[in-house]
Amino acid sequence: MARRKFKSALNSRLSGFQKIYLLLIAGFILGPFIPLLIQSFAFRWAWPDLLPGTWWLEQREKSLLPLAWDYVLSPYSRVWEATLNTVFIGLVVTVICLAICLPAARVLAREKFRGKSAFEFFLSMPLIVPEAAIGIALLMIFIRLGLAGSYTGIIIVHLIPTIPYMIRMLTAVYQGLGTDFEEQAMILGASRWQVMRMVTLPMLLPGVVAGALFTFLVSTNIFLLTFFMGQGKIITLPTLLFSKIAGGTLDASAAGITLVVTVPGIILLLITERFIKEEAFGKGFGN
Amino acid sequence: MTKVQLKGVRKDFGAFTAISQIDLDINSGELVALLGPSGCGKTTTLRMIAGLEVPTYGHILFDDDDVSEVPVQDRQVGMVFQRYALFPHMTVEKNVMFGLKVRGTPKAEIEERLEEILDVVQLQQFRHRFPAQLSGGQMQRVAIARTLITKPSVLMMDEPLANLDTKLRGEMRRFIRELQQRLGITTIFVTHDQIEAMELADRVAVIFDGKLAQYDAPDALYQRPNSVEIADFMGANNIFAAQISASGLATAAFGTLQLDRDIVTVREGAGRILLRSEAIDLLLEEPDGENVIEGTVEGREFFGATVNYTVTCGGEIITVNEQSRRLVEVGQKVWLRIEPRHIWAIRDDA
Repeated sequence: MARRKFKSALNSRLSGFQKIYLLLIAGFILGPFIPLLIQSFAFRWAWPDLLPGTWWLEQREKSLLPLAWDYVLSPYSRVWEATLNTVFIGLVVTVICLAICLPAARVLAREKFRGKSAFEFFLSMPLIVPEAAIGIALLMIFIRLGLAGSYTGIIIVHLIPTIPYMIRMLTAVYQGLGTDFEEQAMILGASRWQVMRMVTLPMLLPGVVAGALFTFLVSTNIFLLTFFMGQGKIITLPTLLFSKIAGGTLDASAAGITLVVTVPGIILLLITERFIKEEAFGKGFGN
Repeated sequence: MTKVQLKGVRKDFGAFTAISQIDLDINSGELVALLGPSGCGKTTTLRMIAGLEVPTYGHILFDDDDVSEVPVQDRQVGMVFQRYALFPHMTVEKNVMFGLKVRGTPKAEIEERLEEILDVVQLQQFRHRFPAQLSGGQMQRVAIARTLITKPSVLMMDEPLANLDTKLRGEMRRFIRELQQRLGITTIFVTHDQIEAMELADRVAVIFDGKLAQYDAPDALYQRPNSVEIADFMGANNIFAAQISASGLATAAFGTLQLDRDIVTVREGAGRILLRSEAIDLLLEEPDGENVIEGTVEGREFFGATVNYTVTCGGEIITVNEQSRRLVEVGQKVWLRIEPRHIWAIRDDA
């Protein structure tokens, strides 16, 4: 129902050129996944055939599942282990990042102090300095500290590229919130903690959710830093994928892993999208 | 009921002085407006009374108790923000109960007071709505209810009528006035709009550049401003330089006018005279008597109920405002007459 409405809205409002433009954008985003999907269901796909020479369906008696999926789902691929690591590290990074950035964003949004702009510039340094440089430098230190090859080490390095994003997002949210609501709550007699719990946090929630989602996605996608700090002892989906495609060929199992790598992000995005759009969103809070 | 006093209050923000010195007495149950252009310090004054800012020097007294350093949560005041600051994630009911809930009031009592206040502000049928589903006037009533339910000793409002359209303004003005009189609660509000200040307040405190410029009843402020700056701010448009004699005659470029010496305090010297545009009679034939100025109609602005004429008289332009029962043509020769008691004078060194 909703889809039909959307379609008719598209038809009535967009010109032919705009529709073609939208289709092209969709094509650029989704296009790269098509060969991966095909590859993951192929049995043999040799160069220079445009489509696989042999499909999995034709060779069903030889393997129960498509080759790619048979491998991905087997313990040898370590996909399950990598997925768990990725999600675990992503969650911890997100929570720590929030705990650091919420108070920082509050100060940046509301207070004026000397060197504030210099400090803000400094905060975005990790986005400017190449990851490899940070990674190598930190690896030296972490090996000495015994943090290399540990979860702690990986979580710390993941905070480096995620904090700048999170701080920026939350600062914008805090600026949008203004001080009226909190002052009003205080005049009505609320203590600092009550103001935080009953007013500030519920009102910041959409921004916090967006920031958390973004942090999680960035964390689950970091390859180089994870690769340096993991030392091969801790594998995540990106490092696993790299080891698969490092040889330069894209075989069926690599295609399968690539598809798996995209899954956590997509699921999370769908959940959040729904959560943020929910009209009754506010009703669950302040009870 | 609470009497509010500001004694020698000063507020600095770093090197910037928002309020240089203010003394203000607000009687118990009085409705006072703090009026001034934006940036004059009126909002800072209100925030200091509320407890959101601490004065740098001086004292704020509630019923002779110094509350200058009492934290905002314990000050028992109420404030309605300009944009109402209704919590968007709570229903009308939850918004209104907020102040009692955070203070740990027993549930039965909260319920009872909620019903009572929802009746007062006539919001019973909207109690389960969210703020986004309310009109401006309804939001303001929620904000007022949310404040009044806590039984504040002083009620403060920041630009209470600014965000409402013309029709609602009248309605809310009557509502606020009536509620304030019924409850007898000391009320202070801030505004930059002299009309809003005059239509609502018992007394108006005009603040310019962090100083109290005049503190008076609306009619006194309008008829008898004590500086040109205030006259200008209160919307006066006929201010002319004049030489005032000991016998109470003011000589301006367009002629000489007799002043009422019981009203005008200026005795002698250079000053300004102030002619209220609505107190001037526009006559088409030369009348007998004093205080008549001859001139020609230069322009006409028609506002519906009233009409403004600009009349040139001896090189000066005098604005006359009258009910639009007739329309005088531009270019017409006219005589202006103003009674002595409608002329106010201000000394130049004031």
